[in-house]
Amino acid sequence: MAEDPVQLRPSPLHDRHVALGAKFAAFGGWTMPLEYSSTVKEHTTVREAVGLFDVSHLGKALVRGPGAAEYVNSCLTNDLERIAPGQAQYTLCCTRDGGVVDDLIAYLRSPDEVFLVPNAANTAEVARLLAADAPGGVEVLDQSHEYAVLAVQGRHSDATLQAAGLPVGHDYMSFVEAPYGGVAVVVCRTGYTGERGYELVVPAEAASRVWDAVLDAAAAYGIVPAGLGARDTLRTEMGYPLHGQDLSRDITPVQARLGWAVGWHKDTFWGADALRAERAAGPARALHGLVAVGRGIPRPAMQVLGGDGAEVGSVTSGTFSPSLRKGIALALLSPGVSDGDEVYVDVRGRRDPFTVTKPPFVTPGAPAR
Amino acid sequence: MYPDELKYTADHEWVSSLSDQGTVRVGITEYAQDALGDIVYVQLPEVGEEVEAQDAVGELESTKSVSDVFAPVSGTIVARNDALDTTPELCNSDPYGEGWILEISVRDPAALEELMSSDDYEATVTSE
Repeated sequence: MAEDPVQLRPSPLHDRHVALGAKFAAFGGWTMPLEYSSTVKEHTTVREAVGLFDVSHLGKALVRGPGAAEYVNSCLTNDLERIAPGQAQYTLCCTRDGGVVDDLIAYLRSPDEVFLVPNAANTAEVARLLAADAPGGVEVLDQSHEYAVLAVQGRHSDATLQAAGLPVGHDYMSFVEAPYGGVAVVVCRTGYTGERGYELVVPAEAASRVWDAVLDAAAAYGIVPAGLGARDTLRTEMGYPLHGQDLSRDITPVQARLGWAVGWHKDTFWGADALRAERAAGPARALHGLVAVGRGIPRPAMQVLGGDGAEVGSVTSGTFSPSLRKGIALALLSPGVSDGDEVYVDVRGRRDPFTVTKPPFVTPGAPAR
Repeated sequence: MYPDELKYTADHEWVSSLSDQGTVRVGITEYAQDALGDIVYVQLPEVGEEVEAQDAVGELESTKSVSDVFAPVSGTIVARNDALDTTPELCNSDPYGEGWILEISVRDPAALEELMSSDDYEATVTSE
C-alpha cells in the first residue's frame, strides 16, 4: 500500500489485535486487522455462528443544532423523513454532478441531532462539505477518534450481546443507547455482512472492555474475531458496494443501482438535478454481479468482455467467495448486458466465463453448502 | 519451519534433494503460505512441459492476492499435485507435505547447488 506506515492511526483495540496475532493492513489512514488466522475461517464462522469485527476506522461525525436533521436531509440523498428518531438509514453524499463523495449511515437521534458514520477516508470531506453549507446554529463535529465501533455479526449475535449485558432484539436499522459500566454504548441493528447482527458505537476508552466482554460472552457460540479480509468477502457475497471501488465520484448511485437510497421526491439534495436527469435518460452503465462458471477469480479493474470479445465493462470488486467456493464480482457493464448473460473476464490474459447475475450471491443465514 | 533437508529459493519455494530418477519436488515455504493467507486456487502446469529456471509456470491465488509459481530449476514437469485442484488449502495446512506443487526432472543437477540452504533462507526471511 502507498500509505506511509508511520502515519497510520492504530485502533483503540490495537493491543488486543496484536495479542491475537493479527495481520494488519492499511485502510483509509488506519492500520487495522486484515485477518487473525484465516480469512476463509473467519468468513465461514460469521455465516454459520458469530464473529466480532473492529471497524473503528469508520468515521463518526455529529451534526447538531436547531434543524440539524432538516439540513442533513437537504444535502444527503436518502429521505430522513422516512425514519423516526432511534432509527438509522443508509444514504449517500453526492457531488453536484451526482458522483458519490461517500456512502454512510445516518443515525437520527432527534430533529436537532444526526450522527453520521462515513468511511474512514472520506469523513473529513463529508464533514467539510456539511459544515460549509450549514445554517447558523448547526455545527458539524468530527468525532472519529472519540469512539470505537465493533460489529457483532452472525446468527448468534443476539445471544452474544445478551450474555454480554447489552440490549438486543430491536428492529433492523434501529438503535438503542444503553449504559455499560459507566459509559453509554449505542447498539444498532446494522451490518455489512448480510447476517443478523449489530454495530456498537463505544467510547474509545471503554473499547477494550466491551471487546473482551463480547468475546467472553460468546465463547460457547464459537465466536471468532474477524478481520477486514472477511468483511470484504462477506460484503461482496451480498453485493454491498464499497466506496472507492463500486462507488466513487465517477460512479453515480443510478449506475450503482442504489436508487432506493435516494429520496427522489424530495425538494433537493446534493446532485439532485444531475441524478434525476441520469435516471430519466437511463445510465450509460450499471452495476451487476458476476459469478464464475469455471475457476477464475476476478479482481478489480479486470476487463469484462461480451460473447463476441468486445469490451462491455470492468470489474469493480472481485474476490473468491468462501461460501460458494468460486469467483464472484461486481462489475459496471454497458446497458446491452442483462442478468443471465454469459460474459468473460480477462484474468491475466485468460478468458474466463462468468454468468451475469443479480446479487446477493448467497442467502444470508443459510450458507450455500 | 524450514526443514534442513530442503533447498530454498528467493521466491519462497522449497526444492527437495535429487531423487534417484533425477527429479525434485517443489512447494512453497511456511513463510510463503503465511504471507499469502488462505490459498483458494492453484493453477498448475501440465505434465510434460519444458520449463526454464525462473519461468512463471503456475499461479497461487489467495483470498487477497495472486502470485506466480516459478520453476526453481530448468527441466521437464513430470508430476503435478492434482489434489490441489480441489483442496488448494493443502498449501497452507501442509506446505512441505500434502501441499507440494510439482515435480521437475532436472536438466542440470549442478543448478541445485545454487539454491539456498535452510539457514540462508531463514536469514533472508527474517530480514524481510
